[in-house]
Amino acid sequence: MAQCVQSVQEFIQDSFVPMVAVLCSEDADRVTRKNNLNFSELLRPFCRLTSEGHLRDPSNQIQVVKNLKICVSNIVTEPPQQVVTRRLLSEVVSASQPAESSVANVITAGDYDLNISDRSLKASLPWYNSWKETLMELSTSKFYTATTPWFETYRETFLQSMPASDHEFLNHCLACMLVATSHENAPVEQFQKLSQEQHRIQHGSECTYPKWFIPNTLKYYVLLHDMGEGEEQRAESIYEDMKQRYGTQGCYLLKINSRTSVQSSNEQIPDPWSQYLHKSNFQNQEMYDESLTGIVNNMSVENSINAPEADGLDLPAKDAPCKTCNDHPLRLDQTSAHMDGIDALRAPVSDGKKVPSASSTHGACLTLNDHDRIRQFIQEFTFRGLLPHIEKNIRQLNDQVLVISDSYRLLFPKNPWYPPEAPELQIRKMADLCFLVQHYDLAYSCYHTAKKDFLNDQAMLYAAGALEMAAVSAFLQPGAPRPYPAHYMDTAIQTYRDVCKNMVLAERCALLSAEILKSQAKYSEAATLLIKMTSEDSDLRSALLLEQAAHCFINTRSPMVRKFAFHMILAGHRFSKAGQKRHALRCYCQAMQVYRGKGWSLAEDHINFIIGRQSFTLRQPENAVSAFRHILLNDSKQAASQQGAFLREYLYVYKNVSQASAEASLPQLPLPCIQSSATRVFFGHDRRLAEGEKQAASHVSLDQEYDRELSQQWRELEEQVVAIVNRGVLPVTFQPTQYCLNSQTDNMRFPLAVVEEPIIVEVVFRNPLKVSLVLTDLSLLWKFALKEFTLPHGSEASEIVSNEKDVQVKHSLEDLITTEVISEFCMNPEETKVARLKLLPHQTGELHIRGVVYNLGAAPSPGSVFSDGMFVRGRQDLEIQGPRLNSTKEEKTSVRHGPDRRLDPIITPPMPLLEVFFINFPTALLCGEIRKAYVEFANVSKVPLTGLRVVSKRPEFFTFGSHTSALTPLSPGASENCSAYKTVVTGSSSSSSSAVATTLVSPLDFGAGGNGSQPGVVDIPLPDSVLQPGASIQLPMWLRGPDREGVHEINFLFYYESTEKTSKMSHRVLRHTAIICASRSLSVRATACRSNTLPERSMERDGSMLVFVDVENINTNEAGVREFHIVQVSSCSKQWRLHSCINPVGDKDSKLTSRERGKLCFRAIKCRNQEATSNAAGRYTFADINLGNEQIISSTTPCADFFFRRCQTTELKKGFTTGGVSFGQSGSLSDSEGDIASVVRKCSEVDLNIVVLWKAYVVEDNKQLILEGQLHVALQTIGKEACSLSQKEEAQEMVLLKFRPELPPPLVRPSTEQLSHLIKTNLHYPESYDHPFPQKSLCMVPVTLTLSNCSMVDVDVVIDLRHKATSPETLEIHGSFTWLGQTQYKLPLKAQEVHKLQLTACFIHAGVYNLGTHRVFAKIANQDSTCEASQQSSMPALIVVNSI
Amino acid sequence: MMTMLGGEPFLLVSKQEQQNYPLYIRSVPSDSELKFHYTVHTSLDVVEEKVSAVGKVIVDQRELYLGLLYPTEDYKVYGYVTNSKVKFVIVVDSSNTSLRDNEIRSMFRKLHNSFTDVMCNPFYNPGDPIQSKVFDSMVSSMMVQTC
Repeated sequence: MAQCVQSVQEFIQDSFVPMVAVLCSEDADRVTRKNNLNFSELLRPFCRLTSEGHLRDPSNQIQVVKNLKICVSNIVTEPPQQVVTRRLLSEVVSASQPAESSVANVITAGDYDLNISDRSLKASLPWYNSWKETLMELSTSKFYTATTPWFETYRETFLQSMPASDHEFLNHCLACMLVATSHENAPVEQFQKLSQEQHRIQHGSECTYPKWFIPNTLKYYVLLHDMGEGEEQRAESIYEDMKQRYGTQGCYLLKINSRTSVQSSNEQIPDPWSQYLHKSNFQNQEMYDESLTGIVNNMSVENSINAPEADGLDLPAKDAPCKTCNDHPLRLDQTSAHMDGIDALRAPVSDGKKVPSASSTHGACLTLNDHDRIRQFIQEFTFRGLLPHIEKNIRQLNDQVLVISDSYRLLFPKNPWYPPEAPELQIRKMADLCFLVQHYDLAYSCYHTAKKDFLNDQAMLYAAGALEMAAVSAFLQPGAPRPYPAHYMDTAIQTYRDVCKNMVLAERCALLSAEILKSQAKYSEAATLLIKMTSEDSDLRSALLLEQAAHCFINTRSPMVRKFAFHMILAGHRFSKAGQKRHALRCYCQAMQVYRGKGWSLAEDHINFIIGRQSFTLRQPENAVSAFRHILLNDSKQAASQQGAFLREYLYVYKNVSQASAEASLPQLPLPCIQSSATRVFFGHDRRLAEGEKQAASHVSLDQEYDRELSQQWRELEEQVVAIVNRGVLPVTFQPTQYCLNSQTDNMRFPLAVVEEPIIVEVVFRNPLKVSLVLTDLSLLWKFALKEFTLPHGSEASEIVSNEKDVQVKHSLEDLITTEVISEFCMNPEETKVARLKLLPHQTGELHIRGVVYNLGAAPSPGSVFSDGMFVRGRQDLEIQGPRLNSTKEEKTSVRHGPDRRLDPIITPPMPLLEVFFINFPTALLCGEIRKAYVEFANVSKVPLTGLRVVSKRPEFFTFGSHTSALTPLSPGASENCSAYKTVVTGSSSSSSSAVATTLVSPLDFGAGGNGSQPGVVDIPLPDSVLQPGASIQLPMWLRGPDREGVHEINFLFYYESTEKTSKMSHRVLRHTAIICASRSLSVRATACRSNTLPERSMERDGSMLVFVDVENINTNEAGVREFHIVQVSSCSKQWRLHSCINPVGDKDSKLTSRERGKLCFRAIKCRNQEATSNAAGRYTFADINLGNEQIISSTTPCADFFFRRCQTTELKKGFTTGGVSFGQSGSLSDSEGDIASVVRKCSEVDLNIVVLWKAYVVEDNKQLILEGQLHVALQTIGKEACSLSQKEEAQEMVLLKFRPELPPPLVRPSTEQLSHLIKTNLHYPESYDHPFPQKSLCMVPVTLTLSNCSMVDVDVVIDLRHKATSPETLEIHGSFTWLGQTQYKLPLKAQEVHKLQLTACFIHAGVYNLGTHRVFAKIANQDSTCEASQQSSMPALIVVNSI
Repeated sequence: MMTMLGGEPFLLVSKQEQQNYPLYIRSVPSDSELKFHYTVHTSLDVVEEKVSAVGKVIVDQRELYLGLLYPTEDYKVYGYVTNSKVKFVIVVDSSNTSLRDNEIRSMFRKLHNSFTDVMCNPFYNPGDPIQSKVFDSMVSSMMVQTC
């Protein structure tokens, strides 16, 4: 139970005080009225006596009476009406609200810290925060307990308004004051009259009320003298007369009103009445102060909701069951009931009469002196009049009781109703008297006796009363000789309630008992008692008692916080039923502290809901909204219907709130949840995606998912092209163009948007509820600062315009920025959905997108009444937290976030806008297939476009043709069936003849080979290099199928600029991703071999080579591709060219059907022109050997283009993989060694590129198509096979990361394999030799060994003829022969020198011999370190020796 | 006072960590779930009281079963506390006379075993609401039995 201001003893004493009635003459009433008081009211503040009184008990012991209080009241002949009492109680409770400014009371109970004062009610959404601080201050003082003044007021009023009952005398009148004034004509007669009146009231038959204690009531005569009116002497004389008549102890002269009203304002007189009167004077309708009026008015409305409750004190119990099922405290009311409540409130109570509060000053005519006089008067009356009177009566009763006690009981039959003079009642009366004068010993024994008697008589009401008072007096006995008999109280309560059906008495008893138990720290007993007293007949009482019980629970030794909370909720419910909305709200708020954030979501939601509703009815809409918000924000576990109800109620409340404050900015809405970090911003216009055959560049769209790797690729491409444009250097201010910003992109800088181009913001909404939501009129909120960027620096921000507030100005805002509005956006239960909201800026400046604005509504559910019009307008901000910073130490140790400028684009001046369309762009190609397509470039902006470039990682895939080729952009339709190649009809194949067409071409013509040029970047040849606004141009484009089969994604980045440079945006880009499916065509393998034939002509002496080309049809699509024809084989090299085909080909073009394989053999020679023309350095010689009757000029577009592009890419790759090593090598090696290495390498190097041109006959849709294509093979080393498929792309293996310093590259020496190519050997001998063996057993054959040095350095050669074939097998087959003469030679050979060595072989039998048994070792001259390397053994040189 | 829905017997299980967050709540019938939440929450006070009282008397061999926490007109609330201070609460309809103290005790033991299994799951994060299907089905079967 909450802490009271009074101690328990005081409280009980004050609950039972001597009652004194007052009878006033009219004139006396008039005199006191000057002070705006009647006589009893005048005395009330002074009714507590400050000094001690004394009286003697029957045994002549002196009894001290301390701190006595008396109650003086006018005689009211009507017993108090229960309805009136009830209303009075209700009013005092609602008038007594917790003081808002009071210090927070925090009770620490276990893990919980409870704030019991009203503070929590004031703190809005983070309810917890504010009092957590006060808690810190107060947590030390553990014995802070809550005060509940409304309960005390209620109790006091309740006890005062108890109707007097026959079974007890405590509140019967003991004395009567008769008051007259000195100004009356005949005061003495007036007194007589009054005395008779009193007599009539007490003893007459017509009045049963008030009840009187003792038949001969003490009459006290008071002469009132108004100092301002009459002569004092007259009063004195009358008083003297009275003293004669009534004795000095029976009368008094009271002088008041000494102050004239004139001087009233000068003096400040305390007003002791105010604190007493507002409670008691309700009926007078005078004392309503303003706030009270408000509350009462509110209450009248509130009560109308609970109509059955308001008028039923004695509401029969039969109603209870139906009530309980309707108004279960934990029931979440459905909206229907509630809406009534709100509707009722909507007709607000502004008609409440406001009574001017001016009349509420009391005691205007009284001075402090007068106050003292009154105080003195009371003292005099009590000590001289009342106490002796009581003393006398106690004695009398004591005597009476002693005399009659035994005899009476025998005489009279037992009877539960006693006549007033019954001896049991006399005992009781005596007990009550003793009790009133604080003689608790005697009182207890009397009560105890009376109790026995009553119980014997089965007079239950009387017995209960005696039990109650016996218990109380036992408790109040000084020194506590006996323990407090709690069971007396329990029996009394039970009897009152169950037997007597008198709830009022039961309640009084319970209040007393609870207070006593509480003082003895028996909190749980007190709580049980109080809870037992709650019943259906009075909600107010139940509420107050439940609240007190709740307070008891936190005061137990181990505080029961949850019980506290639960009972607070029950109390809150009863308060609200009783119409005490404020108290109800307070209870729920206090309970909330326990339930909050503990995971009891159902309970939490319920409480929040009630708080919201109560706050709303109490006109605290902010609290209401935040409470409702809380329900909706959390992931609610409520059922769908419940959520729907919450939502509708929230909307309703919200609507009312927003209507009330129409001028304020839009409120924040809690639903649906916005996942702000998932917000994407897209800068881009509406693009035509496809138009007939045209297919637009894929570019960027919101439908694409973000791919970090991909965007990095695009970024690299853009860097590449920008670097080219800026002469190889990437500008410091470079910022990659980002069209779509999301959480993964770099949002540290302000993005750039172009004026008149739309900005699309994609907002992700999540509906957490199980009911559908409808958003209407959804649009973006923004702030815009107008700026002219074209002006140099002088552009300061003009005023900031926003569409956040001014609803009226909207039309002028349209000129600035067009805001697209989504008229309806539905969200299904628990759905996550994106909304794309568009802005179209018309001016340059700085834009800040702030949030979204929309009408929130519940989806109309079937059968719902509140389907339409339940929309509230509100906003939600888009606040995106930037990435966490982690670069400096400070940032690492603390949590800091960088800015995220996704939503703050800068609107720049107009920029050109390019659209690219592809015409006849294939989706599937054979590997190496050449296809011609067209590209259309269109400038769709109002600004000319220039500097158009395209960059790709796969430059070998496409070409726009060379500079040299005539730019005749045929229309795409005209070229449909033509070959992509430029051809010349020759009529015959050039395979056999020497008429091989050769052309010399510089790679620069094809945009390749230039230093510093990035191979990926291609300038697109625009006429005049400018594309005018609205113009479009179509350009041919050749594509070559990638060499590797599979699906290829090829990224194109188109780069372009505006003709006029602006500072904000230097360029723009357009992206395209082409997807090409490449299928296998041919596989070409080629090998170059040194021909061992003796050079016949001197010019071909050193440069002749055999090239074997192995072509295999590896196409797997047997149905589609019929056959491949090798149409032509071309060579491109700086040094070599194909000379002739040495294939004995029957058919002209070699045909390869599926899985077939063919071999072509060519002879290649060194180019003559290399030496001839000096300016030919770096040029390539193209030589075509056509196998058909058509020559494809390979030195033109597109064949040469693709050739050079391929070269570039392979070079690029090589550069990446081996470049570093080779540089290091040349640096670290000594000059000579480096030379040797290169010399040796050169010796075996060829650098011949073979281009195989083919045609494929393909059947597709019953139509035969001829596809053409080219495959490249690069021959680099003699004897090493090269393949068109480039062997798994140099096996891009995963390289293990090594964290060791890289070792210096090892000394690379020419390998033995390389060294073995230094010397070319050749044997010359007759193929068959006839020798007459019978005649001459030895056959000697001359053999010439030709040694030619292929390298450019001197070489020492050792020739060893003694060498025998190692394996015995060869011995057997070939027999043996011997070389005659010198068997080992050592020769120095100069560079390129040819030396002939005459040898003689000697045979002894006829047969076939292999002469090639010699071994040649070569060693570079002057190199001691290198050992001699065995040279490649020449082919078997067979000789037939015939015997004649 | 609370008014109770009569009729069907029901069972409600709740577990509490130190902080007294609900780990698992099941109730039959589910329409008056809120009421049971309040009931269980309130009963925690009694559990705490009992635990602190028991702790003083016998420290070693503490009986985990706390017995009847409090009876009301319509239902009975039983409590059980594990050694790690996880609280189990069962609420049964007081008209259900088939459930004696022993039955309740064995129900708690079963619950405890099942709960131990849940805790042994390495993927279960202590303190999270229990979402184990096995546990669910065990509780369901127990509730069916008592009906």
